[in-house]
Amino acid sequence: MILKPIASILMLFVTLTIFSQDNLYSSLTIPEDLKENANAVVRLNEIVVSLKSSSEMSVKEKRIITVLNKQGNRAIDAYVHYDENVKIKALDVLAYDALGNEIKKIKKNDFKDVSAVDGGTLYSDSRVKYLEYTAINYPYTIEFTYETITSNTAFIPSFMPIDDYFVSAEISSYTINYPENITIRKKEKNIEGLDVEQEITAGKFFYKAKNLSAYKPEEYSPSLDAFAPKILFASKQFTLEGVHTVVENWDDFAKWMYHDLIKVTHDLPEGTIADIQNLVKDESNDINKAKKIYQYVQDKVRYISVQVGIGGWKPFNASEVDKLGYGDCKALTNYTMALLKSVNVESNYSVVYAGSTQRSIEQDFTSIQGNHVILSIPNNEEIVWLECTSQKLPFGFIGDFTDDRDVLVITPDGGEIKHTKKYTTEENTQIIKGNYIVSNEGSIDVEVKIESKGIQYDDKYWLESETERDLDEGYKKRWRYINNVVINRMSIENDKDSIVFNETINFKASNYPKVVANRMLLTVNALNRNTHIPDRYRNRKLPLKIKRGFKDIDEVVIALPKDYKIESLPNKKVIENKFGNYVAEVIAKDENTLLYKREFIVNDGEFPKEDYADFRKFYKEVSKQDNAKVALIKKE
Amino acid sequence: MKNIINLLVVLFVSQLIIAQDYKFGKVSKEELQEKFNSLDSSASATYLYKYRKTFYEYQEQKGFQLITEIHERIKIYNQEGFDYATKAINLHKSGSYHETVTGLKAYTYNLAEGKIEDTKLKKDGIFKTEKSKYRNETKFTMPNIKEGSVLEYEYKIISPFYQNVDEFHFQYAIPVKKLEAQFQAPEYYNFKVNVKGYLRITPKVENKRDKIVFRNKSRSGGTGFGNPTSKTTFSSSTLEFNKEVSTYNLENIPALKEEPYVNNINNYRSSVKYELSYKKLPQSTIEYYSTTWEDVVKTIYKSSSFGAELNKSGYYEDDIDNLISSTSDPKKRIALIFDFVKSKVKWNEYYGYHTDDGVRKAYKEQVGNVAEINLMLTSMLRYAGLKANPVLVSTRQNGIPIFPTREGYNYVISCVELPTGNVLLDATNKYGSPNILPYRTLNWEGRIIKKGGASSQINLYPNENSKNSILMMIDLSEEGDIEGNYRSVKTNHSALSYRNRYNNSDKDDFLEKLENKYGGLEVSDFKVTNTTNLSKPIMESYKFAKESQADIIGDKIYFSPLFFLCTKENPFKLEKREFPVDFGYPSSSTYRITINLPDGYKVESLPEASALVLPENLGSFKYILSQNQSTIQLLIDTKMNTSIVSPLYYETLKSYFKQFIEKENEQIVLTKI
Repeated sequence: MILKPIASILMLFVTLTIFSQDNLYSSLTIPEDLKENANAVVRLNEIVVSLKSSSEMSVKEKRIITVLNKQGNRAIDAYVHYDENVKIKALDVLAYDALGNEIKKIKKNDFKDVSAVDGGTLYSDSRVKYLEYTAINYPYTIEFTYETITSNTAFIPSFMPIDDYFVSAEISSYTINYPENITIRKKEKNIEGLDVEQEITAGKFFYKAKNLSAYKPEEYSPSLDAFAPKILFASKQFTLEGVHTVVENWDDFAKWMYHDLIKVTHDLPEGTIADIQNLVKDESNDINKAKKIYQYVQDKVRYISVQVGIGGWKPFNASEVDKLGYGDCKALTNYTMALLKSVNVESNYSVVYAGSTQRSIEQDFTSIQGNHVILSIPNNEEIVWLECTSQKLPFGFIGDFTDDRDVLVITPDGGEIKHTKKYTTEENTQIIKGNYIVSNEGSIDVEVKIESKGIQYDDKYWLESETERDLDEGYKKRWRYINNVVINRMSIENDKDSIVFNETINFKASNYPKVVANRMLLTVNALNRNTHIPDRYRNRKLPLKIKRGFKDIDEVVIALPKDYKIESLPNKKVIENKFGNYVAEVIAKDENTLLYKREFIVNDGEFPKEDYADFRKFYKEVSKQDNAKVALIKKE
Repeated sequence: MKNIINLLVVLFVSQLIIAQDYKFGKVSKEELQEKFNSLDSSASATYLYKYRKTFYEYQEQKGFQLITEIHERIKIYNQEGFDYATKAINLHKSGSYHETVTGLKAYTYNLAEGKIEDTKLKKDGIFKTEKSKYRNETKFTMPNIKEGSVLEYEYKIISPFYQNVDEFHFQYAIPVKKLEAQFQAPEYYNFKVNVKGYLRITPKVENKRDKIVFRNKSRSGGTGFGNPTSKTTFSSSTLEFNKEVSTYNLENIPALKEEPYVNNINNYRSSVKYELSYKKLPQSTIEYYSTTWEDVVKTIYKSSSFGAELNKSGYYEDDIDNLISSTSDPKKRIALIFDFVKSKVKWNEYYGYHTDDGVRKAYKEQVGNVAEINLMLTSMLRYAGLKANPVLVSTRQNGIPIFPTREGYNYVISCVELPTGNVLLDATNKYGSPNILPYRTLNWEGRIIKKGGASSQINLYPNENSKNSILMMIDLSEEGDIEGNYRSVKTNHSALSYRNRYNNSDKDDFLEKLENKYGGLEVSDFKVTNTTNLSKPIMESYKFAKESQADIIGDKIYFSPLFFLCTKENPFKLEKREFPVDFGYPSSSTYRITINLPDGYKVESLPEASALVLPENLGSFKYILSQNQSTIQLLIDTKMNTSIVSPLYYETLKSYFKQFIEKENEQIVLTKI
């Protein structure tokens, strides 16, 4: 019994000496400010990239991460991808307890080894080894080391000391070594004001960043990619799946892509060419021809993603798509392009970052970028953009998937950075025209027409393919603030020519107004009530960004119950500020009829974080006004 | 004789029809022209024909192999149905044994200018992937798919895992026009047949003869050094045997559609499972598997990764001796051991009633699967002199164990019998407490296994309602803003789910989520007690403020007395419902709210008191308001006394929700004095 305290005193000594060496394995030595908003702390991350030649690259990484809680487990990120061209040379993990004592050793063979196919992909030859680790207690620390060797030098890892929310970084360093005959280009982003040291010598770049705090995601903010520090690297001479090339600028890059990867795939069977020529024979201008061909493609193909070898980068042959009737974004874009070419309509393969975050291609940094491909058709000053993976989108409509961002347009003569279509506030409209009858018993009978355009079209066009049951439920959810909705009729019309989505709905709901003694309180805005209030942050850190604006216009006629008369009406309300404006008005047309007019506009834009509170207030005020009530009183 | 002729004729006729319609490749124009399924116009695709035949084939060296032949013909009506043009075949593997696919043949049919045009699936559309150590996958996607296409494929799976016959499913997310299925069992294998679901399914069962031809090779001579000549003789022998052939023939099977608040849709999917009950090969002894729950349990109990693991105790004895030396009270001992296991061994999120690395290793490494943790727990409880037994459980995700199969269960917990009643324990969740099992395990009944292997059913649903009691003091201002104090006390599952959320998240984040859940409530002095003291309820308290919670019209103020806690939306939106509504566990909430009126106002009218009751005491709602000079008091008491409500009561339940939501939203009117 006496021995035990002695043992723990000894332990104390041992651990104390470890502390004094500034130990990164112990959770006790984490600087306080790095714990703020952090589920995990990267204690040390050392990446060493060595280009031996333009066709041999090794990547070594050592990462020490302290995980503070359950949510932090994902920050271990012990995933290593491999395939034909990427070999894993080393893979090791050591686990430490809160005090930095080693508790477990995990070897390469203990990693799970699975096919690296995500939900959207049918097949990929890429595989992944990953670690499954169960935490015994929090915090704990993992040291993860690996080395891979690859002949693909087209993708040099970037230096990203912070690559996720809720993770901070204590020390993060990056080294790239390269031989004399290779030129390395780099681009630094968002590193001003941070503790970053650098050392650039012949054949070597070295960066080291210290004490980077964790970010927390916030509503209406730019995406992490837009503000997190990052340094990108690319080699002028590189190899991709055995194909070697030299690229200095976008023109070189585009020529390489066009001539080596795209042009060679434009083979079409004679029969298809004849069909297409026949299809557009009566069309005089290129845009009308393109419209017909786009429809032809939409009817013929479907999106299936298959990634094999160079096929991950090079589109399937057009003849393959023609035969199989499916392909991924590259294949379908390329197929459409080949069809257009067969009737002498010019179009260009365009590389983009897809997703609603509007991420742009880094225009001053030539390298393989993007994760998606669309097609662009020059049309005088304008450009028509085509999303070739969709079988539903109207011609020239790209929605929030690829709107308003820089993309790389590849032409036979070179590459150009262009900006995709921006859907402006004025274009993103929803117009409601409706009327409803309020009965003496308090039920309402509603007839409403909703017309949506622009991004608001994008929000709804998919409703066309919903089943009746799901559509019925969908409308009940849209008007969730009305209890007891029973839908009698719904009709939807997708006008793809003018890109307008029309909905006509007739529904009934019992007990809509609140009846109190001889009064009836009627919330006039029954059809488009704003229930969204942006989240409140005690301490907003990120700027305010409204990615897309919109404009809602409502006009609703209300027939009042016969036995009631108007006691009071809400006043007209006008709000105007830099975020948008709001006007709501109830007009008594006669003693039994009200006209409700409402306009709500939110503009897109970027504002300093200090503006967030006012923006939130704007929405709060709109919500309040949308709940304004008319008081009716029973006639004597 | 006449009967036989009749039978033959019938057989002949029906075969003729089959030959016309469903022979591979005989896709008709009518099928291609069809624009929608006339019985279910919302279907995006339909199985025109679905055929499966599973039987045994004797292969030399390998013995009986399980063969499954598949033939499917699918009509695609629109783009939403395109997913059915891609098929993934799961193939099991274990060590050097693995399942293989052979004879894959597939075509897409389209109508081109009135003519049927077919496109063959080629190698470039077939993909083989090694998914993991235990699973391969062969996937294919059909060429030339358009709205209106019909596609058809057939293939064969050869499996060395003769004891595992995959469940026959008869109902899918899309309708089936014609389904044929057959299972053949040789007399050496005896199967238990288990049927579930809402469809009426009866197979036609026949006995048939079959035979195996063995080719024997024997060598003579060539033994000794002096006799180099040897002779090989070939002979063959035939073994005749009986087989039982079960055939299913179904037509126009409706689609199985998902509904909200369904425990697990597979519980309602019509299907048949053949579970091997015994094996009796010629010249060998009979080997039992399972025919009854008792057998299933025995098989599980006897396996080395269950029963034997339960009996190991050497690895923990010293620790447990130390732990429990201070008390002999059974309840205290349970608590000590339960907490000990929870803090000592962490769950690696793997399910199963079989241990993986074994209890000893799990104890040493402090990480284990469900079986390792709960068998260890049971063993320790027994060691401490308690009457503890393992309980097999099927998780919600695994479905309700309707018939006795080994796969029917996928989880194990522990049960201690005390004179005061059973105590159920699951040590995989840090915040679980005695008789408060994690949500995933709340699924009908489990099966308790006594020493020796005898077993019986045991109810897993809690008897006691999980309570949430809310107390609020609210000051209402003349402008319609409110501020006040909130306090809640949560027990059982309400407390468990709160602890899981609260303890696993960043505190600031939790608070922000709370505020935003109520549309930007402003919260201060937030406090939670008993976050880790599981023997006490969770107590949450805070001060709050929120603007515009009342309507001010003229000299009157209107508001609903629950303010932001008002239920706004009926969760039941479907007009009709097929399957039971599953709440998971019984619960009750009470609200005691005191509202201080703004100065200069008096009550003009109050909503009336109300009480609603669901039939069979399933649930109830009570609402009482009272007032004095300057305050209003509200008492709401709601109960859902059951975990599951039958679809027969769906209408009643929907209207019960409707009524109490309306009641909660009723307005109090104040008027200026």
